[in-house]
Amino acid sequence: MNKALVVDDSKTIRMILRRMLKEVGFDVSEAANGKEALAVMDVERDLVTLVLADWNMPEMNGLELLKQLRQRPELSSLKVVMVTTEAETGHMNSAMEAGANEYVMKPFTKDILLEKLARIGVLPMACVER
Amino acid sequence: MPEAVSLNVVIKIVESIFLTMMDVEVSVSESASVPAGDRITAAVYLEGDWNGAVSIECSHPQACSFAGSFLGMDAPEIVDDDVRDALGELANMIGGNIKSVIGTDIRLSMPSVIDGNDYTVRVCGGCIENKIAFQFAGGAFWVVIVGKEKLCIRELPHAELQEQVM
Repeated sequence: MNKALVVDDSKTIRMILRRMLKEVGFDVSEAANGKEALAVMDVERDLVTLVLADWNMPEMNGLELLKQLRQRPELSSLKVVMVTTEAETGHMNSAMEAGANEYVMKPFTKDILLEKLARIGVLPMACVER
Repeated sequence: MPEAVSLNVVIKIVESIFLTMMDVEVSVSESASVPAGDRITAAVYLEGDWNGAVSIECSHPQACSFAGSFLGMDAPEIVDDDVRDALGELANMIGGNIKSVIGTDIRLSMPSVIDGNDYTVRVCGGCIENKIAFQFAGGAFWVVIVGKEKLCIRELPHAELQEQVM
């Protein structure tokens, strides 16, 4: 089973993403900020194939988390999707330059999320077309 | 300097967030004041080329209802951490999307939430620029934009506003 790590300081968003991901077969771990996410990755690096990360979080924000994940060679195949209200082009460019695979802006629907996940190959396109 | 932001754009942002995240259709209302009694306010603060706050305010039962819809579960009976978190995330989405429309160098704070029956939210040096009332089948809520500097939000007569938002 694919495992995703959802990183957001909002429990509400973590619950919404967890529900959406479980419906398409993901097992889900959660973290409330970048530091917690790195701790989870230390333990679950062989299981987690996808990270969904908010941008604005206490302790360590999503961009810093992304940069740190991309410094780990053993996580080179990990897909990272930013899920955030930061919709300016500059933010998107910064995230993509730092190694994000996709960018989802809040608010989002399940269809939008799944389409983005299919686009980066962590879901079969059939999941979106159903 | 910030771009001018149409009031209609702010309204469309709020409508879109409620429809997308909760499948709830909301529309602008003429109701100007929040009813007496317990209420809850969630706010995010913007700092940079424009300094101010964007908040969402509603009654306790309304906030519980939003949390239930947001989380896809029965509405909590009282305001708890889940309700505060859900309302804070709504403020974050509304403020974040307004920030993106302003399109300048502005940072967004974490949401903060206040609840009770006798409080006032003020931004030091700010003034209330816009208090927009919304209604939907389950009740009403208010979105308030307070700025230290003038954010060019145009006021439109209600009838014209409804026409443009359609």
